[in-house]
Amino acid sequence: MNYMPGTASLIEDIDKKHLVLLRDGRTLIGFLRSIDQFANLVLHQTVERIHVGKKYGDIPRGIFVVRGENVVLLGEIDLEKESDTPLQQVSIEEILEEQRVEQQTRLEAEKLKVQALKDRGLSLPRADTLDEY
Amino acid sequence: MPCLNWRKENTPQRPKERRQCTHRESLAQFLAHNTVLSAGGTKMKTTHLCSQVGVTNTETELQLSVLLDQFSITAAKKVYLLEADTALSPEETAMEGVGQPAKMKCLEGPHLNQGPAKSCGSLAPEKELVSASHLEEEEENEEGEEDLDPDPDLAPGPEEEEEEEDEKDLGDPAVLSAVHNTQRGGLSSPGIKIPDVLGMSPTSLHFLWQTLDYLSPVLFRPKFPSANSPACHFGHQLLLPDPSLFCSLPTSWPPKFSLPSHLTQLHPQHQRLLQLQQHSRMQSPPAKKPWSQQPDPYANLMTRKEKDWVIKVQMVQLQSENPRLDDYYYQKYYQKLEKKQADDELLGRKNKVESLKLVTPYIQKAEAYESVVRIEGSLGQVAVSTCFSPRRAIDAVPHGTQEQEAGAASSQRLRVLHHIEKMFLQLLEIEEGQKDGPPQPCYSEQQSKQVEKLFLALKTQEQNNLEEAADGFLQVLSVRKGKALVARMLPFLPQNQAVSLLLAITHHLPLLVRRDVADQALQMLFKPLGRCISHLTFHELLQGLQGLTLLAPGSSERPVTVVLQNQFGISLLYALLSHGEQLVSLDSSLEKSNSDYTTWTDMVVLIAWEIAQMPTASLAEPLTFPSNLLPLFCHHVDKQLVQQLEARMELAWIY
Repeated sequence: MNYMPGTASLIEDIDKKHLVLLRDGRTLIGFLRSIDQFANLVLHQTVERIHVGKKYGDIPRGIFVVRGENVVLLGEIDLEKESDTPLQQVSIEEILEEQRVEQQTRLEAEKLKVQALKDRGLSLPRADTLDEY
Repeated sequence: MPCLNWRKENTPQRPKERRQCTHRESLAQFLAHNTVLSAGGTKMKTTHLCSQVGVTNTETELQLSVLLDQFSITAAKKVYLLEADTALSPEETAMEGVGQPAKMKCLEGPHLNQGPAKSCGSLAPEKELVSASHLEEEEENEEGEEDLDPDPDLAPGPEEEEEEEDEKDLGDPAVLSAVHNTQRGGLSSPGIKIPDVLGMSPTSLHFLWQTLDYLSPVLFRPKFPSANSPACHFGHQLLLPDPSLFCSLPTSWPPKFSLPSHLTQLHPQHQRLLQLQQHSRMQSPPAKKPWSQQPDPYANLMTRKEKDWVIKVQMVQLQSENPRLDDYYYQKYYQKLEKKQADDELLGRKNKVESLKLVTPYIQKAEAYESVVRIEGSLGQVAVSTCFSPRRAIDAVPHGTQEQEAGAASSQRLRVLHHIEKMFLQLLEIEEGQKDGPPQPCYSEQQSKQVEKLFLALKTQEQNNLEEAADGFLQVLSVRKGKALVARMLPFLPQNQAVSLLLAITHHLPLLVRRDVADQALQMLFKPLGRCISHLTFHELLQGLQGLTLLAPGSSERPVTVVLQNQFGISLLYALLSHGEQLVSLDSSLEKSNSDYTTWTDMVVLIAWEIAQMPTASLAEPLTFPSNLLPLFCHHVDKQLVQQLEARMELAWIY
């Protein structure tokens, strides 16, 4: 904002801790080290955070280079406030297990829904043929 | 004097290396020189200079060099250069002369930002002090500094050539020599003339200046006790890069805690929260050192050059020939903001916080290239790849005339809508040309032509028959957007054209009224038409009214009846009558001209009778009720009728 008042730019966000949400649903947390005009990001000391309910788990990933078009949103993390979350951190194994369980229940619910629609002669369009927007 | 010979000394080094260590060394040298002088205890004005720079001993000098390593050196160099350059101009011996380049510099630099006067004001006194000290140094020390002049010219020579190759490199040496040469150019001519000493084009040089200018405010902040000064101070006018601030710069750049600038609108609760936070921060760690947190070893992986490059790319994307059009909302927002600040200032708010405006670089567009080439005799198009679009897709441009669709009602409507859109674009152009101010009949040739074209487009609509043309006009008026178009267009039209439109409207008023039932949008036409009515001649007025009073063939109802039931219609009618009465009362000769006057009286009577006939409930409420209507009726109609009228009109009005 200081460089270019009236615009949004990532320049001031450099070297700060960010939370990045990707289009595939992943949440990455890391220090934003470098950007370019396409908003491709270089994240340093990145951690992939998986949230399931009130629990979360961090998987350290190292350095990420994210292509700009895959970013949904990103925001700066206030380092002082980072620690006071109501969420509970658990180990990686536990959170992966939780995630698997959650995925399973979701798939089963989806299956029931599809079956119910089929019984009524309707069908949901497949996800891969859906428009992005 | 080492500080003046810095370029000379560094010439034998290899170019690449020179770039990196020149500036640090030179600044260190410069500072070293000054520290030596001050340590010597001589009562020179350089002590004053040194205190400005904040260098009183070698320790702080080391600190300085450490700081300069970590932060951008560009701005520091800018300061240094300014000072050095004034020293390098021995021909300007007078104070005034030296003051001048400073002023010119500040004129050149932030001339696109606000408050050039202010920044000049703050710039000038410091400059003068600096330059004065330098001058005295020179005078006291060496003579014969004329030989230095050709040297700086030689020294940047090889550097320049490198920079020519490296176009995108907004790096320090480019800036350095740019600044240097601009200064020199500035000295020779008081005007803002950038000499073509460098290989760079004046426009890119110009852009570099702007880069510098928008960079500098970020780095230099007023020296507050807490280093975490909120970013809202960035909103200040361009501050002179105060050398004394070197020591106070915190490690992390930009600061970790940043309040959004006053440009952002926050929810009041949010704002209060942030303010509380800010206060708590300000209060709690006043003793906290600026380097309280562990210095981030990975900081500044993205160098200044790279950041500038990204910004440059983004700025280039933003450039436009006509920002008022392309960036309409931001420009309007900024105008509002400025006005609000001006008002606030008038009201006595001491803080003159000037907000920065986005200044897009004006870089001349590369000559227009054709991305798609049509070779005669071949089918299809060939895509030409350029540096802007390595492989641009072939444009799908339709050639040949569009099919004429005959007859279908929907296509007719589409055609009308399409026509309205085209005319609207023309109207927007006219309005844009009319910048800032109420629309009025244009005085410039070009605008008159545009208006003329628009009017013809509206009136004729490529119809051969006059009747069909009128029909086309009515079709336009049947669409809500068409009404908006006519309403916005009327102020621009010359009187005769406006009158013709008005007459067309009044003639077909019942039809329009009927078609407007859904939209109820005729109201927007009232104001411009009202203005037009007030310039009508008596004869024209009669023409207008005649259309309403004549009995249409094949119907027992007069148009007036329908008109009276519609708000717009009745308002228009009243306006016409009122104007007629005004004309008559002002010009008694009209009463003499028999035919017109009798027509007038007949019409008035007829209308009065119609109003009286109309049940009060169905009488519409006019938008404005002219005061001279009742007297008008009194003149021409018997008392009983007048009473009836009064009752009806006033009742309708009260409702």
